[in-house]
Amino acid sequence: MMIEYIQAALLIIAAFMIIVSAIGLLSLSNNTKNKVYARIHIVGIFDIACIIAMIGLGQYLLAGIYFILAPFTAHAIANAYWKKEDRENNADLMTVEEEVDENHPFIHPKEKMQALESEDSEKLKADERFSVTTIEIDEGE
Amino acid sequence: MDILFIAKYILVIALIIMMLAALRASAYKSTSMGLLGSSVVVVAFAVALLVGGSLYNLEFFRDISLALIFFGFVGTVAFAVVLGGNDDD
Repeated sequence: MMIEYIQAALLIIAAFMIIVSAIGLLSLSNNTKNKVYARIHIVGIFDIACIIAMIGLGQYLLAGIYFILAPFTAHAIANAYWKKEDRENNADLMTVEEEVDENHPFIHPKEKMQALESEDSEKLKADERFSVTTIEIDEGE
Repeated sequence: MDILFIAKYILVIALIIMMLAALRASAYKSTSMGLLGSSVVVVAFAVALLVGGSLYNLEFFRDISLALIFFGFVGTVAFAVVLGGNDDD
């Protein structure tokens, strides 16, 4: 009888922690800095809640296995995010290098296009021999 | 009514709420969030299966739950390693 009460208490504690982590996962603002790391941290609470629930259900082996595996998952996700997607903190990802082929018919380098569009561009001066006119139509006639 | 029985149902409801929250979180724009959300859903399903197995005397629920937890971990780590790329880059 006493063991049942302890099991029930563990399950209710786990359920409470899971609901708190669900609310935290949803209510974290998109404007927060480092929000992905914060969400990984919140999922850590969910992991521990699951371990408590497994202990409450009598599955000690599963709880032990998951207790060892959960930090590896969190670290792997955080590491992948840091390496490839974290443009806030990782200096290597802040500057994006563009490699554009000079002879490509459709894609041109940004600097070349800016030079063409600037006011003292030679090509723009050459185009000034063409003038643009507008035709006015008088509907009254 | 038995308090353990009620506690199990409360846990299942909490797990369903967490699954929905993880589904929402996995829809954020970075790939890592999708990875995080899917790993949470897998673990939540494994724990819900443990609860369901103890409530309804299902067969092999413990084995299926162990497989979900273990292969969910392997899949998440493998995808994260592929996403992260080599250290030599």
